[in-house]
Amino acid sequence: MLSDNDVLKILDAAMSTTADFAEVFQEEKSTKTVSLLNGRVIRAGTGYNSGTGIRLLAGTNCVYVHSNDNDIESLLKLAQEASHAIKGISRGEIADISPLIHTSATNIDIDPMNVAKSDTVGYLRNASEHALAYNGLITQVAAGYAATERLVRITNTRGVNKEDSTKRIRLSFETVATKGNEKQTGRVAPGTMRGYEFINEYPLIEKSEECCETAMRMVNAGYAPSGKMAVVLGNGFGGVIFHEACGHALEATAVSIKNSYFTDMLGKQIASEVVSARDNAKIKGEWGSYETDDEGNESSDLLLIENGILKNYLVDELGARRMNCKPTGCSRRQNYSYAPTSRMSNTYICNGESDPKDIIANTEYGLYCTQMGGGSVDTSTGDFNFAANEAFMIRDGKIAEPVRGATLIGKGQEILKNIDMVGNDLELSAGMCGSQSGNVPVTVGQPTIRVSSILVGGRDSE
Amino acid sequence: MMDIKIAEEFMIKLIAEASKYGFEECEASYSDDITMSVEILKGEVSSYEQSTSQGVSFRGLKNGQMGYCETSKFDDEAVRYMLESASENCEVLNDEDREFIYCDENNKDLFFSQTTEAYNKNTYNRFAELGLALEKAILALDSRIEAVDYLSIDCSRGPVLIINSKGLHSYRDSDGVSIYAGCRATDSDGSIKSGGHYWIGNDIDKFDMDAFLAKLSENILGKMGARSCDSGTYKAVFTNEAFMQFMSAFLSNTFATVMQKGLSLLAGREGEKIASECLTLKDVPMYEDALTKVPFDDEGVLTTEKAIIDKGVFATALYNLKSANKAGTASTGNGFKSGSTIGVSPTNLLVVPGEKTFDELCAEAGEGIIITDLSGLHAGVNAISGDFSLLCEGYLIENGKKGRPVEQITAAGNFYEIIKNITAVGSDIINIPAGMGEFFTPSVLVSEVNISGEA
Repeated sequence: MLSDNDVLKILDAAMSTTADFAEVFQEEKSTKTVSLLNGRVIRAGTGYNSGTGIRLLAGTNCVYVHSNDNDIESLLKLAQEASHAIKGISRGEIADISPLIHTSATNIDIDPMNVAKSDTVGYLRNASEHALAYNGLITQVAAGYAATERLVRITNTRGVNKEDSTKRIRLSFETVATKGNEKQTGRVAPGTMRGYEFINEYPLIEKSEECCETAMRMVNAGYAPSGKMAVVLGNGFGGVIFHEACGHALEATAVSIKNSYFTDMLGKQIASEVVSARDNAKIKGEWGSYETDDEGNESSDLLLIENGILKNYLVDELGARRMNCKPTGCSRRQNYSYAPTSRMSNTYICNGESDPKDIIANTEYGLYCTQMGGGSVDTSTGDFNFAANEAFMIRDGKIAEPVRGATLIGKGQEILKNIDMVGNDLELSAGMCGSQSGNVPVTVGQPTIRVSSILVGGRDSE
Repeated sequence: MMDIKIAEEFMIKLIAEASKYGFEECEASYSDDITMSVEILKGEVSSYEQSTSQGVSFRGLKNGQMGYCETSKFDDEAVRYMLESASENCEVLNDEDREFIYCDENNKDLFFSQTTEAYNKNTYNRFAELGLALEKAILALDSRIEAVDYLSIDCSRGPVLIINSKGLHSYRDSDGVSIYAGCRATDSDGSIKSGGHYWIGNDIDKFDMDAFLAKLSENILGKMGARSCDSGTYKAVFTNEAFMQFMSAFLSNTFATVMQKGLSLLAGREGEKIASECLTLKDVPMYEDALTKVPFDDEGVLTTEKAIIDKGVFATALYNLKSANKAGTASTGNGFKSGSTIGVSPTNLLVVPGEKTFDELCAEAGEGIIITDLSGLHAGVNAISGDFSLLCEGYLIENGKKGRPVEQITAAGNFYEIIKNITAVGSDIINIPAGMGEFFTPSVLVSEVNISGEA
């Protein structure tokens, strides 16, 4: 990291023309990874990357330059070049740099960066071998582990001088079942901001069996039907639908330029009354948490929707300037090579009152999605799509046969109004979210919910 | 600024020191990505970015295992860190397949520079001026177009230098410019439609604004009045862009690395007919129209032109050195870095065009659907089984002509069935960045796709 004096020089250079605000973002990141295929270690990597991003703002005009050459002379030159590109009216003030404040949302007993790779390999190999022997249909098992350590320092012309450190672990385990030409997978991929003790406590053997069961069920399943029907979305990763179809449309990135169907909707009913939702970056040890965001603001636990009423947007500094409001501490970036913008953290639909069993029992005919794949959304039109990795038909209020290949499509603004039952079994699930400022760790989550009607794109017509 | 010479000195040091850590053979590779971009919003330059991202990755063989490590710092401390980490990685590896550090005695010094003179035209002022003019022109196209939510002009260039303990010294570089605009319009019923268009090239002077506007206009205004259509089995014309998206989602099935992991149904089927005779898919490293030509791969192997699918027959998989050795064949020169390790990638892909125009493909379909865009390709496909179910949009084909626009439908089927059911290949070739270069493809007509829409 640069000295305060050097950072001040960069801020001075950046503010030499007409910027009203400048920020220096420094980052160091280390990663350790291993990948196993059928119990053999086929890849092991280690990496280190560091760099600096310099951001200048003049009203809503933004200039961002970055480099991984951390030499002060190079950075000063870069800051000067940036200052010539900014188009403001007059030069802003530079406040004194405050004493450094260090924050961390990481909650650690055993530092994952100090655990020998051979320990991790043993753990993954054990589960891999267990899964391979589980059933003759299981033809392949892939397991992966990645530990990341990230230290960032944000210093800006308002005097902010903060350092935030995080350590994260992501595990992935995937089984493939084969039957003739058909191959289907079962997968778990937990992530955490806790230490290696998370790995020691995680019931990977049990989870590996669940992966095998999913893959085996799906390889034996028929195709999902097509058409509009009631859809029950299981808890945990089912929340990816809310993340995509609603969360992205609440980010200032979209709202501030009116590229969202939720623009100008604060205080209005945007979802059915049974829906409340939060974006909470403050959950200790959770994969998507952080203490200080990537522009130096404290993170928050934000109420997004309360009983269907829109309460808050996710706003970053630039978005706040466009929307004439305050940032909410949600500005994030993959690394120094991205300017920060409004992003989600741990985003979930809150617990409701229904017993998940009653939700199924109250559904005469529909689709029950127990494991979702990914999806995407166009925040201007609301068009979304999601794949179900594991799904079952619901017939006469009972879970019936498994089906594969189901995709759910619709409009985000409509689906929220069609949620008619919300369960009481909230669970969070780790994922990576890709958007303008790169890929950031997030969790999605929800209790079991029912949507009265979604178009299911399958291959069979019933 | 740090330059490539500093990186090269660091790499030479790494290779020289490696034997002290027990590495039998090793290689260091350097890349830099130098970019500049301008974004326009509401008559202003909203964002300007400039960057350089360089890194060195090391890989070394020890007891038959290849350990990797990478860094963005090039000092003496980093030499120790790299070699210790790579060494630790070798110790936990137990890959059964043989790894290679390679150098062809006749091609030790490889050099290919394709950075153009025209790159110097890429300045902030030039991009800002063009971007602002483009935004204005888009808004003037039609009163229903409300905003250009995203307009960016980017350029990038970067060298790749690889040296190894066997004497390989390989250097290549390339550059490019791209323009993307996405806009939003309001339909007569108040619903919002979005659409965009892109341009890629290596000379900003060759950007044809009128052609760009015409296509963008079609991409957004063509959607006005779009609604769902009846579910059923349709004849479908995949536009060149949609077909490129579709083929890209399943392309990894032709990679030997994927086959050897048991994740491709094409494993062991070289020489078999897998697609319609209309379909020929080639990997053409030095394709004349390609912006980025690729004469050698990241393992120091010279690339060659070959058909992957030749008139429907699966002619060859794409191999790097490791997968070729395992299969008892030669590398096809497709060993490229993916992440930190060497994987397999195509160079420039070409679906060999047929003779029919796009309109003739529609005429041949008679009744059916035109698919212009597929969404959710990262989620709605099972790349292994080939099954897909994807949100898509396009137009109906009525009486052999492009009819009304459709949206909120899914197209479902199986990749292996679709490529068998291609009945005609068009002549309307386009290029989109993919692999190490671009993907060149025309539109195609497919005899059967399942569409889910209204009842």
